[in-house]
Amino acid sequence: MALFVILVVISSALGCQGERKSMEGRCDDDGVKIEPLYAVYFTLRDGTEKKFCSIACASLSFSELRGRIKEVIVVDERSGIKIHAVQALYVESEVVTVPHVKNRIHVFGSREDAIKHLDRFSGKWVDNPFQ
Amino acid sequence: MILNALSITMIFIGALSVLLAIWGGISSLILYRKWKRPSGPEERTSLEDRSYLVFLIMVIVLLIRLINWPLFYVTLQSFISDIEGAMCIFGVTQVKPGLTRLLEFLKPIIFFLIGGWLILNHLDRATKTSPLMRRKLLLLSIISLFVLVDSLGDILLMIGITPESLVSCCTTVTDILNRPTRTTPVSIFGPEYGRPLQTLYFITHLVLLGFIGANLKFRIFRRSVLGFLFLFSILNASLFLLSQIEVFAPAMMHLPFHHCLYCLWQYVPDSILLFGFFSLGTFSVGWGFTTDLFGKIGEATDSLPSYLRNIYWFAFFFLSAALVMLIIHLLVD
Repeated sequence: MALFVILVVISSALGCQGERKSMEGRCDDDGVKIEPLYAVYFTLRDGTEKKFCSIACASLSFSELRGRIKEVIVVDERSGIKIHAVQALYVESEVVTVPHVKNRIHVFGSREDAIKHLDRFSGKWVDNPFQ
Repeated sequence: MILNALSITMIFIGALSVLLAIWGGISSLILYRKWKRPSGPEERTSLEDRSYLVFLIMVIVLLIRLINWPLFYVTLQSFISDIEGAMCIFGVTQVKPGLTRLLEFLKPIIFFLIGGWLILNHLDRATKTSPLMRRKLLLLSIISLFVLVDSLGDILLMIGITPESLVSCCTTVTDILNRPTRTTPVSIFGPEYGRPLQTLYFITHLVLLGFIGANLKFRIFRRSVLGFLFLFSILNASLFLLSQIEVFAPAMMHLPFHHCLYCLWQYVPDSILLFGFFSLGTFSVGWGFTTDLFGKIGEATDSLPSYLRNIYWFAFFFLSAALVMLIIHLLVD
């Protein structure tokens, strides 16, 4: 019996450490591997950074972290360049970017790219979700 | 249908269980009715022989159904990569949500019923006159019905889950602010419900362990006490689930806003052991009660206290192990 308990203790400790390593490069909301093109980054007032796999996940955490956020960075899905959330344009269309959250909100750095996507995939303009 | 070794195994086990549950259920019901009537020695011997054959085969089926519960989740886990949008078992459950929910609800009940029946069977086999035979036969016919429904459900689910399905996963359901597991504790403890909820869980768990310990020390195996322990263990299990979803799982996963238990099992695999220990501990408390409820008859009454002592030791040990594991996880974090 004592041996069994020791086994449980060791497994717990190893489990915790293994889990820590596996969380690097994953979404801070649901732990899914991040596709850089659809990532969202929060910089908090204490200097720490939070990263998310999609606008959907970032929006869920935004409501919890609202008071602590200093800056929100999104990625222009056309060029892959990181831009400030306030500078980006948001289009909701029939195209799903991150399937597990069925995220349909697309981020663009230029109006021209956004309109192209909007016309092609029957999209509509949506407000910046991080305000 | 997604074909892999696990889904084929599930269908094979399901088909076998359906056939044997129908045969075993009907046979045990017939034997139950015949057992009541007075009969001559030859007829009695033939009745006993048939009963032992039914028990022998059904014990194997029931043991397989015990394994079926974890196997069910392992199989769903194996489907994740084939279903678009699924990142954990939750996504797979969304392909056939109604049927999957029914099976998820049914499987722990069947596990509990089978465990309780196997203990009764063991108790009866330790006697010379088999005083529990009729009760065993009746309970077996009822359990067979559950097994039949569960096995048919397994087969339908395995066939019904198709690889081209597109689902949304747990994040859109378990992490929203108006989820019931959040609104319930918020209505009781307020917005800062995390600490009070976990404190309440630790208190009930320790109190349950204390009750079991006292029961073992003073050997109070009265039915009312055992019934109270059973109800208290159900309350503790509800609090365990709630606190796992809201407090412990996010802490163990290092994802403070994610509340999915399937993701917990995926990211922190040893938490499956924790859930296993907790389930076995909680079920054991229930098995103690059901063994006393159905096993207190004739010759079996004499050996019942030692059985109850073993069952409650089992419960004490597994609930303690679950608690130790949880505390270690929280301390290491």
